[in-house]
Amino acid sequence: MRLLLVEDELDIQDFLKRSLEEAGYQVEAAPDAKTAERLAIDGAFDILIVDLGLPDQDGITLILRLRQLGVRAPVLILSARRSVDDRVRGLEQGGDDYLTKPFALAELLARLRNLLKRNNPAGNEATRLRVLDLELDLLRREASRSGQMLQLTPQEFVLLEYFCRNAGRVVTRSMILDQVWGMRIQPETNVVDVHIYRLRGKVDSAGQQPLIRTLRGVGYVLKDR
Amino acid sequence: MSSKTASPKLHSAAWRISFWASLAFAFSAMLVFFFLQRFVEQDIQRRSDAWLSGEVEVLADVAERTPKDTLYGRVVGEVAELAGREVPNKLPSDNNSNDSVFFLQRGSDDSIQLWVGVGSSQNTLSAILHTKTISDQPTDVRVQGFAVPFRVASIRLDDGSRIYLGLSERDELRVLRNLRIRFLLLWLLIVLFGFVIVFLTTRRMLSHVRRITESASRIGHADLNTRVPTTKRNDEVAQLGLTLNRMLDRIESSMHQLHTITDSLAHDLRSPLTAIRGKLEMSLSASAHGEQAEPIVSAIEELDRLTEFLNQSLDVAEAKADALRLTRTEIELDELLRVMTDLYEPSMADKGLQIRLYNADTVTIEADAALIHRMIANLFDNELKHLPAASTVTIRLQLAGDSVSLVFEDNGPGFSPDVMPLLFERRVRGRDSNGHGLGLAFIDAVARAHGGAVTACNREKGGAQVTVMLPRVTGTNGGSLIGMVHAAH
Repeated sequence: MRLLLVEDELDIQDFLKRSLEEAGYQVEAAPDAKTAERLAIDGAFDILIVDLGLPDQDGITLILRLRQLGVRAPVLILSARRSVDDRVRGLEQGGDDYLTKPFALAELLARLRNLLKRNNPAGNEATRLRVLDLELDLLRREASRSGQMLQLTPQEFVLLEYFCRNAGRVVTRSMILDQVWGMRIQPETNVVDVHIYRLRGKVDSAGQQPLIRTLRGVGYVLKDR
Repeated sequence: MSSKTASPKLHSAAWRISFWASLAFAFSAMLVFFFLQRFVEQDIQRRSDAWLSGEVEVLADVAERTPKDTLYGRVVGEVAELAGREVPNKLPSDNNSNDSVFFLQRGSDDSIQLWVGVGSSQNTLSAILHTKTISDQPTDVRVQGFAVPFRVASIRLDDGSRIYLGLSERDELRVLRNLRIRFLLLWLLIVLFGFVIVFLTTRRMLSHVRRITESASRIGHADLNTRVPTTKRNDEVAQLGLTLNRMLDRIESSMHQLHTITDSLAHDLRSPLTAIRGKLEMSLSASAHGEQAEPIVSAIEELDRLTEFLNQSLDVAEAKADALRLTRTEIELDELLRVMTDLYEPSMADKGLQIRLYNADTVTIEADAALIHRMIANLFDNELKHLPAASTVTIRLQLAGDSVSLVFEDNGPGFSPDVMPLLFERRVRGRDSNGHGLGLAFIDAVARAHGGAVTACNREKGGAQVTVMLPRVTGTNGGSLIGMVHAAH
């Protein structure tokens, strides 16, 4: 996967580049809009990360310009601004996504994956999900572990489904809030954690290998190995 | 529109101004007319008195010169009758029977020597005798059988007899009455005309003021680009509009300044925060797990709290200046509350708290989704942080006219009295609070930015109550007016 990272803050560019490369992306970095435009035309990128506050041009202007030049790759917009601009919303509806700084790496990676998946829908959606001995029937909204039916509330099922779709990857609290509850908030209390504890109590019952692991300060991960 | 403005019209300034102006005008016009009428009345009187004195002298002259024979009565009577035809103010129609003039000669023994006129001579004589007359000065005499008094002039002849010439005041009164009627009609016309002119002028002027007020109140929090209407004329109202617009220019520029400052502050803080967070996360995955990870983890958590604090304090700062920027979309508030309740219910249950949600039917509002989400999360967080176990939180969502009221109440200890007056200030928190003290200030900020309001109090039965009022639809005058009123505090 070829990724173009347009970010002027060298500190951020540096750690993003390293983390993205660790995650398996081939990263080219550009510190300004001019370089970005040149790189984008030359090399075929699968996905772009564009910071809104570039020294020579507004990030959105750059994206619109690249679209005019025929660059079709999806864009993840990084914004240090406080309010989400209407133009960003417009791009979001056009298939791109945005993330406000500061962000968790896991969330950045998840959003990149989503963008790539949205652009290459892999045929029919599966109706069943399987992670190790955990099995989800998406049509009947039923989950079982080692053949044993789990008594989940609808909300817990959605949460588990989200975990299964991201099995082996870190999901953060704000990702869970965004994807499962549909809101970008930062609660001051441990509301998400309590949901995970409850879910864990049902999925990882006594005597079984625990599947849902907590990575403190980062989020959670559903083991797939 | 008409039903709304019909009643206020009676209380409008235009109506009041024209009422009082017309009243003053009517009074002074009445005064002028009154004195005019008095003047005319006196003038008519003077004229008839002059006529009477002249005629009575002529008659006395005739009476003295005419020999006292049988022809005397005819000659003097004839002269008297002729005199009566030249009565002033006389109606031209009734020249046949002249009942407006009488002539009477009285002997020194009070006998009637000569009588010309209609009516009873005896009655007239007794009326004259009963009236105190000043010689050579015409006086009013009321004669029985006549509705109007006579003006009577008298003169004493050398033989001791007296002649009287009487002129009915009927014509004089009629002239005055006609005059009064015309005055009255004219007066009514003038006052009415004046009222209409004053009313229309002031209403025209004040309607411009009203238009300025209306558009000024429409210029709410976000919409600062529009200006109040101005006219080409250079009067006080136009000056008002221009002054308001200049003021709006200044407000807009300082608001722009504020946005620039908060934006660059946010940007300048967020970029290093992003870099720090990224580096921490990288070192976390590098140093794997165990003892070493713990400080990194707590650093990340602190960082996230700092970020949220930064976001909220900038929002509160902007909202305090009525400068919060909103991106409004339609929000189903009832559905949002159900989802939020689902989200918070397990945490509440863990703490031994109960939630009860009373929803109205579908309640949609036009609001900034991100801010409303955070505001409601804040309300839940507040309850979760401050309530002791075994308390109950009751949430009510109700429609109240054009507004939506969202009430969070509990049966906990309530707000402590020492923080009560400062609830909506920044950095106020209860003793056991572990938040950053922006909770209610932020809730208030969001409500205000949407043209709503927040009230917080302790319930009578114990426990705290926070009520958030939000207008359902924006762009109506009501919504932004509430915002204006609130901002004025």
